[in-house]
Amino acid sequence: MPGVSLKALSKRYGDVGAVDGLSLDVKPGELLALLGPSGCGKTTTLRLVAGFLAPEAGEIWVGDRRLSSPASVVPPERRRMAMIFQSYALWPHMTVAQNVAYGLRFKPGLSRGDRDARVREMLRVVQLGGYEARYPGELSGGQQQRVAVARALVVEPEILLLDEPLSNLDANLREEMRFEIRRLHETFGITTLYVTHDQGEAMVISDRIAVLRAGKVTQVGTADDLYHRPRTRFVAEFIGRTNVIDGLATSLDTVAHGALRLHIAPGPLQPGTHVALSIRPHQVQLAAPLESADGANTFRGTVRRAAFLGDTIDYEVAIAGSDLVVRAAAAPTPRFDVGAGVTLRIAPGACVPLAESE
Amino acid sequence: MDRSIAVWVSAALALVVLIALPLGWLGWLSVSGEHGVTLAHYRDAFADPALQKALWNTVVLAFWVGLVSVAIGAPLAWLTARTDVPARGLIRGLVLASFVTPPFLGAFAWVMLAGPNAGMLNTLWRSLTGADAPLLNIFTMPGLIFVVAIYTFPYVYIMVSNTLALIASDLEEAAAILGAGRLTVARTVTLPMVLPALASGFILAVLQALALFGSPAILALPAGFHTVTTQIWSLFQFPPKVEQAAAFSVPLLLATALLLDVQKRLLGRRGYAAVGGKGGQRRTIALGRWRWPALAACLVVMSSAIFLPYAVLAKGAFARAWAQPLGRDNFTLGNFTFTFFEYGSTRAAIVNTLELAVLTACIGAAMVALLSYITNRRLVVGHQLVAFLVLAPVVVPGVVLAVGLFIAYTRPPFVLYGTLWILFLAYLTKEMPVGYAQADATFRAIPADLEDAGRVLGAGRLRILKEVTAPLAKSGIIAAWCFIFIGVIRELSASILLFTPSTKVMSVVIFDLKEEGQFGAISVLGLVMLALTFATVALVQAALGRDVLGARR
Repeated sequence: MPGVSLKALSKRYGDVGAVDGLSLDVKPGELLALLGPSGCGKTTTLRLVAGFLAPEAGEIWVGDRRLSSPASVVPPERRRMAMIFQSYALWPHMTVAQNVAYGLRFKPGLSRGDRDARVREMLRVVQLGGYEARYPGELSGGQQQRVAVARALVVEPEILLLDEPLSNLDANLREEMRFEIRRLHETFGITTLYVTHDQGEAMVISDRIAVLRAGKVTQVGTADDLYHRPRTRFVAEFIGRTNVIDGLATSLDTVAHGALRLHIAPGPLQPGTHVALSIRPHQVQLAAPLESADGANTFRGTVRRAAFLGDTIDYEVAIAGSDLVVRAAAAPTPRFDVGAGVTLRIAPGACVPLAESE
Repeated sequence: MDRSIAVWVSAALALVVLIALPLGWLGWLSVSGEHGVTLAHYRDAFADPALQKALWNTVVLAFWVGLVSVAIGAPLAWLTARTDVPARGLIRGLVLASFVTPPFLGAFAWVMLAGPNAGMLNTLWRSLTGADAPLLNIFTMPGLIFVVAIYTFPYVYIMVSNTLALIASDLEEAAAILGAGRLTVARTVTLPMVLPALASGFILAVLQALALFGSPAILALPAGFHTVTTQIWSLFQFPPKVEQAAAFSVPLLLATALLLDVQKRLLGRRGYAAVGGKGGQRRTIALGRWRWPALAACLVVMSSAIFLPYAVLAKGAFARAWAQPLGRDNFTLGNFTFTFFEYGSTRAAIVNTLELAVLTACIGAAMVALLSYITNRRLVVGHQLVAFLVLAPVVVPGVVLAVGLFIAYTRPPFVLYGTLWILFLAYLTKEMPVGYAQADATFRAIPADLEDAGRVLGAGRLRILKEVTAPLAKSGIIAAWCFIFIGVIRELSASILLFTPSTKVMSVVIFDLKEEGQFGAISVLGLVMLALTFATVALVQAALGRDVLGARR
């Protein structure tokens, strides 16, 4: 099972969706999500890997085969890959079985009987046994999705490419299919590139996530890495919700925002430089105002807004003596009303400094 | 290198030769004199008072046809698209019938209906009132305008009804909820949204009238006046003045191009209809006590375009004397034997027409399929130019195209004049845009994903074309084939300049028969032509699963 290596890949057309010197390694057997807002170049990257586009610079390697370079591009049909499309791209004039069997035609030395058996087995795996003779138009969206998955997996590709495969499903089904795709990945272990703009999807499905912005990889890491240790403001804001506080480093572990002083876990701050801190809402602790407001990163504030979300309450709290308004996600009890005074506490370890430049 | 490239490139090159050769020669000959470039031909053409008169007549004809078409087509479209007028399906079907009826057949029928002496409506009028003077005289400018307009209004109808079908009632209701009354909604929302369609329908109607040869030849020539197209034709009569004809053709070509450009801008700038959001419902407006009067009005239009002309053609085909009542002693099948077995050129002409129609449709459908695939998937450098060229013949009136082809193919390297091939080229060129539009819509509806999905799994491009694209495009291409076929069997304006005694086609023979006053045989051939047309239309509808006028079923 080979991995995929993208080396300084560039492809410009128009301005939107361009890829600009993108480098990325997908480990063998890994499921890596390409995550980013629309126009960040993630679909272009996927189509470069599939061989539908030729790069203007850079190379694509799978194992020890060089598949793309500006000089030569191995055509899609000779890349031993499979792809699942946003639209599913099922052929409406072929039955489910014919759709799934299509790729097997190009496998040498496979008898008709073998082919049928593999198709049946694969349809059983995606829980569509008995649907062989149906046409795609007769299936629900979720079932069509499963056919697309089966068609891609049955050829046992070296590399599997998925282009926002769940975006056409309704919310419940999407949730279910996330786990389904993860399950299939664990069963087959195919090296997979998964394009999505939905961070939740990326976090559930993938081993690692590459966050793309303007045609470049901003940060690669596990969901945990990206959530707890975002390196840039873009990643911090794109993965989950966060408070970003701009300030000036006054010591190795202190950041000043106006009169406010925020302590962070001992880190590599350079005194005198501008720095931005990311603080996740659920790491802002709220307490009754009567309690003492001493200690590191403890402030008084006033509740501006409160929204009940079931398992948490979402607060907006204005910090006294400052222009800062932070969001906090707190347990439903104790409950603070709008206008009430509160005490905020933020653990120094929860303040993550972000790279200034992007 | 992709093996398929050769296929794409040669299709594109064939197209360039097909279009550029006749138009290039046309332009060149119109300015070439014995001593190099000259404007003498233009001077000769436009200084001639007779030609000036023809030009003016064409302007009058085209303008009024445009207006009358809007006056008929727009209300009909609104009635069938938005109201509960009875028998909407029937009305739509009749509009379609009028759309595919060869206009020159309609003109013949109206000669039999409203000729000043023997016209049946006039005979009826005289017997009812005892008057001497005819009620109607079709051999006049108003008569010509009328006959052209009743077969041209479908262009307006199609534009307007397809637009209305795209405008969701939500848009009107959004205005109503803000306090606009019914009339205000119509004035401030519906009408402005339909206006571009209306204007572009007007322009299409004008263009039809500009390019038409048959109806003016049948109605204007006996009335003693010319239009540009008949004038070009008469410049081709012995002794032919080809250069003058070329010079006279170029302005017609430019006017058409200009008008089409205006039309495109009208539609393009504010393509409102395309902005249709999701789930737009279209609610029908109840006409109340106006339902039946509205239907009656529709049927009056349809009787002049369809019922009366078809009836008179049917009668003419089975009557010994077409002007007399069709009784037992006036009934005959002789017209059929005469047409098919006795009259010299009919059988050869029918064979020629069918051969040409099948050949043109097959080659044309294959070409437009290839070309639209190229432009849709951007397979060659310069695919925009391909799209432009394939649509270019739209601006070339049949007569003008014929002049260009005549010039291009009466001299080396391609001497085709006198063979069926020159007619084939004329038809292929002329019908290309219609076929292309159909094929283009077909490929547009087939997402590239469907092809990409196969390629990733290991199939090459040509294989995907065969196994995925072709099966999906089949019905659309069959429809393109039919459109081309229909276009060819009714073609007159180019054929009339390009035929020779051994290469006559049906429309030309009908025209000959008119010179001889053989109305029975004209009627028979007309019925054959209509039968072929409607059979083909039925085939299209079956292939596309919708009607030819372009709305969902």
